[in-house]
Amino acid sequence: MPVIEVADLVKEFSRPTRQEGRFAGLRTLLTREQTVKRAVDGVNFTVQQGEMVGYLGPNGAGKSTTIKMLTGILVPTSGTVTVAGATPWRDRSRNARRIGVVFGQRSQLWWDLPLRDSLWLIGRLYDVPEARFRERQRQFSEVLDLGPFLDTPVRQLSLGQRMRGDLAAAMLYDPDILYLDEPTVGLDVIAKERIRTFVGELNRESGTTVVLTTHDLDDVEELCDRIILIDHGRVAYDGAVDELKARYAPHRELVVQTDRLESVEGAEVVRREDGKVWLRFDPVRTPPAELVAAVLAQHRVTDLSIVEPELESVIHRIYADRG
Amino acid sequence: MRGPRVYLLLAGAAFRAEFQYRGNLFINIIGGLFYQGVGLAFIWAVLDRFGQVGGWGLGEIAFLYGIRLTAHGLWLLPGHQLIHVDEVVIEGEYDRYLVRPVAPLVQLLTRRVRLSSLGDLAGGVVLLSIASASAPVDWSPGAVGFLLLAVVGGALVEGSLQLAASALVFRMKRVSPIKFAIDMIFSDFGNYPLKIFGPVAGFGLTFVFPLAFVAYLPATVLMGREEELAVPDWLAWGAPAIGVVLMYAAYRFWERQSRHYESSGH
Amino acid sequence: MTAPATARASAKTVPVSAKRPLTTLLQAYLACARMEFRAALTYRTAYLSSFAMMLLQIWLLTVVWKALYDGRAEVDGLSLTTTTAYATLTTLQYQLVSPWRSSPIDQRVREGKVAVDLLRPVGFPGQMLSGQLGWASAAVPVLLVALPFALLIGAGQAPASTAAGLAYPVALLGALLVNQLLGLLLGMVSFWTLEVSGALMAYRFVAQFFSGALVPLWFMPGPIRVAAEWLPFQATAYTPAAVYLGQIEGPGIAVALGVQLAWIAALGALSAFVWSRARRRVMAQGG
Repeated sequence: MPVIEVADLVKEFSRPTRQEGRFAGLRTLLTREQTVKRAVDGVNFTVQQGEMVGYLGPNGAGKSTTIKMLTGILVPTSGTVTVAGATPWRDRSRNARRIGVVFGQRSQLWWDLPLRDSLWLIGRLYDVPEARFRERQRQFSEVLDLGPFLDTPVRQLSLGQRMRGDLAAAMLYDPDILYLDEPTVGLDVIAKERIRTFVGELNRESGTTVVLTTHDLDDVEELCDRIILIDHGRVAYDGAVDELKARYAPHRELVVQTDRLESVEGAEVVRREDGKVWLRFDPVRTPPAELVAAVLAQHRVTDLSIVEPELESVIHRIYADRG
Repeated sequence: MRGPRVYLLLAGAAFRAEFQYRGNLFINIIGGLFYQGVGLAFIWAVLDRFGQVGGWGLGEIAFLYGIRLTAHGLWLLPGHQLIHVDEVVIEGEYDRYLVRPVAPLVQLLTRRVRLSSLGDLAGGVVLLSIASASAPVDWSPGAVGFLLLAVVGGALVEGSLQLAASALVFRMKRVSPIKFAIDMIFSDFGNYPLKIFGPVAGFGLTFVFPLAFVAYLPATVLMGREEELAVPDWLAWGAPAIGVVLMYAAYRFWERQSRHYESSGH
Repeated sequence: MTAPATARASAKTVPVSAKRPLTTLLQAYLACARMEFRAALTYRTAYLSSFAMMLLQIWLLTVVWKALYDGRAEVDGLSLTTTTAYATLTTLQYQLVSPWRSSPIDQRVREGKVAVDLLRPVGFPGQMLSGQLGWASAAVPVLLVALPFALLIGAGQAPASTAAGLAYPVALLGALLVNQLLGLLLGMVSFWTLEVSGALMAYRFVAQFFSGALVPLWFMPGPIRVAAEWLPFQATAYTPAAVYLGQIEGPGIAVALGVQLAWIAALGALSAFVWSRARRRVMAQGG
């Protein structure tokens, strides 16, 4: 069952045209000319209940504009967004109860109040029954380890603590959909891992649909089965992560630690370093098992491994190709 | 009654947050009182020498001033945060309001409290109480009722103008000069009997910029000086209703304009 | 574009501890002033609308005074034209000398920018004062443009005498200095308590009233007038305007200027003292 349906979505922003030359500032102030910029240019996709989708794109590609339309923050110029049967910007209050939103850069919590108060307020604003509220708070305190800083004013929390607090606040009222916008930005490795584990479990156990935008592709590789790639306001790719790799980076690399290796049939030597040799091959034409067998038959090998292409480099290549 | 409950919930949170800066509290209230005190000192100093302005003596002017100040304080107490509408919209704090199941305007108004507004209100109430006793008004229960309605209506008139000006922020990005100008017109022209400004300004301050409905019209009819009004009596008696109508219109305008919200950083 | 660049350049070239020639020092202060001058012009809408409001205020005061005079030729020996001229003049002066933008110190302390200011090789109080003078001077060009309109709406008069005409600029400069020193003093309070906005608010209203910018001192009721005469605020608005209009004349001018000078000396000494305490405090807390 689709929970998010996006059809022919367009968002344009217009600005007074910036004038140049003498008195540029004053003339910009007075001009009636408008420059129209299309940030989102006909985007279509649907997201099924329980999916974890990575929504990716370079800066200025229209990524956060789309998310803002999905969450009801922006009103589309044309096209439709339906989230759980409702139009987010028109039916804001109903939409708000079904979604949880975490902006990595900006907290949703009450800055001057202890985290505990923020959670309590959220509970009341979303009409969470008292018993359920207590249960949720206990759960989150455990999983996200909120205990040590529940009574600290939010402005004094570290970024990682604040992010955990924000996640708890966003999930307190059991929304069906969770939007995460750069949830791990600026966090250290351990804090990142903690957030990823929490989101992963949430999705497995409660079937929460997750839409994730991030610059950290490790987030995506670890969490998402599907990615939507957006560029210049249009969808560049929509599908499984594996498929993306298969399509844009069909090759695998076999790294062999060996004494001397000139060449192997079905693979190409791409790099040599510290007694290691990197062999690039296409797993469809040359099955990995055959390649490994061929290498082992001719050389004395002390170590060997097969390297999958990194999502990051795949995506870089896609953007590079599109220019 | 979810609306009022949610409002109190959020306002309570703002109060608790404000109490984190306790020292500030008292001094802010004092600041508010001074603001009123200076306006009053001006009028007192002047009337002490001149006896009257436009045929109104100190008692009458103080009554007019008391109504305006009380209305101002009554509006400011819930409405103060509109001052920050520029930064809230430019810096994208407004995003957060849009993903919660509460009217965004309510969240904006309860983002913080400024207790200087309490000083404004307290100053207004004290002045109005004293002035009411000495003003030439026949205090029937009806008159008292009308005075209360007039004060609420006055708060709504001032609030509606500020709200409508704030709504322009979604298109103009910087509206504080406009709002500052509105505030200035209120405090500059609101304390005198309107007729001293002549017929053109009098008309403008009634029908273009509805300042007259805040205090001048209600005060005039309460003191039985209808003969000096340039508008029909019923319009003066209807001043509180004008406040309701204007506030409704301003809120609709705010809602329409808020669709043009562009957030920050696309 | 050149102002910030100049400021940075001079900040770099002026050696920190060496005795500086007076000209370099003046250049550094001038750079601070010019930066603030540019900053004042950046907020065009606010800048222009403040002048529209000034004209509105002049008109309002003229109308109110006219209604108050109510046909009488003189009140307390003062004609309506003198009073409206006073109102016009003080409103114009107010653009230059106003307690409303007296010191940015509290804001700089709150935003933690004071540390940067302290690193500059120019004395902090000097930086703030010259910055303020720069800001005030941003009002001059538009004041000149607004002057004819102001006179059209309100009322103008030539200086009462040659002596008045000569003494006026001196008194205005004195007013400017007294006002800035008061602002500096109050701003420095923020080194001890971060939240000064409420106190500043109260100060501004008191200063505005007792300066005589709203009601000339001669119309103030007895006890208030006495208070006003003993407070420094009258030196910031009443003194220059009264000198210009001949309400203070002859030897009175010398006395009035002397009072201004005394206030400048007293407030200057107090500022220096408070600053020496504040600096120690800032150093201890690391800004």
